[in-house]
Amino acid sequence: MMYRFLRHFFLPHHTNNHRAKALHPDILLVYILLLAVFNFSFRYIHTQYPSILGYATDIRLGELLDLTNQKRTALGLSQLKLNEKLSLAAAKKAQDMFANNYWSHTSPEGKTPWEFVTSSGYEYSMAGENLAKNFSDSSGVVEAWMASRTHKDNIVKPGYKDIGYAIVNGVLNGEETTLVVQMFGATNKEEVIAQKPVPLSTGTSTEALGDQIPMNILDVASPEATKSFLSSLSSVIQTPKINIPTMTRVIVFIFLGFLIAILIIDGCVVSRRKIIRVAGHNVAHIMFFMAICLALMFVKRGVLL
Amino acid sequence: MKRKWIPILNFIVLAIILSSTVFLFGQVRENKMMQILVGILISILYVTWGMIHHAMQGDLYPKVVVEYLLVGAIAVTLIVTVVWI
Repeated sequence: MMYRFLRHFFLPHHTNNHRAKALHPDILLVYILLLAVFNFSFRYIHTQYPSILGYATDIRLGELLDLTNQKRTALGLSQLKLNEKLSLAAAKKAQDMFANNYWSHTSPEGKTPWEFVTSSGYEYSMAGENLAKNFSDSSGVVEAWMASRTHKDNIVKPGYKDIGYAIVNGVLNGEETTLVVQMFGATNKEEVIAQKPVPLSTGTSTEALGDQIPMNILDVASPEATKSFLSSLSSVIQTPKINIPTMTRVIVFIFLGFLIAILIIDGCVVSRRKIIRVAGHNVAHIMFFMAICLALMFVKRGVLL
Repeated sequence: MKRKWIPILNFIVLAIILSSTVFLFGQVRENKMMQILVGILISILYVTWGMIHHAMQGDLYPKVVVEYLLVGAIAVTLIVTVVWI
């Protein structure tokens, strides 16, 4: 009984019109429906039980600073000092991005990064900003910045003396986002070049969907309050039982492997038995699914700006 | 002799279509929406290639058309699943 079912499902036979049942149009439709159910159930479980099914993240200010300084030291450059005012500017920028729902160096109202730096009390002679979102760890963020010419230029610019960070979780454009804002600066009055921001693009602004930074706290003048506020933005650590990106990839690649394997088996049996039938071309389907596998390898969650 | 080369030529064209669209997919990796659009483009091109290939072979039947459409739809669903999560 079991053998008959497996033969019917995986091998071309007269019971399945000489085409593995797993490749019949009705079963292909079932795969699509199952994938849709998988998508929706993952999203539902994530919203209901984020500690079980979520995005594993471990980004810490200390690690970002150490890794950045390691890159500079390796090039014979001076180490950057963590500056509270620049961290406050980074926090204000992150807050503005979540409040106005944009992913850009310039806000939809035209607010530049330099305005956040100035309003935080840092009198810059040169300044720069790097942004990153949805990376899972600190080294991933720094390595991605180093791999991008414009971001690397900021990290290894000899003129910078200070650095500030904000690492914040929120919802940006409807997507759960871990945002890293890195602000560079120097107050040396002899260097009077304000660095242009790295390529600007206007983010789509619809509605503010998330904001985990309390607006009022940014205006508090008390140094203690500022300090404790900034320390709350020094890391994002989430350790769900199941990491969504890893789990999704595993399921998708196993499914693609399953389809490719069935197509190979089906093609081999049909070719050996010299069966003539009306069906799509197995070799073409295999090439197509392998191309999809390759394309999916390019997908990464972390994005820079 | 000429007809013998047509399927081979068709598969060379398919390989070119797939490799160039996968390359394009890699080029837009910073933009999720573009990745999904390129994923849809790959599928549309594949379904079109399938139709033309089977029409040239003389075995383009509704069942074959449905199969190519479903294979293309599976690919789009997989791309959306991985890109959006």
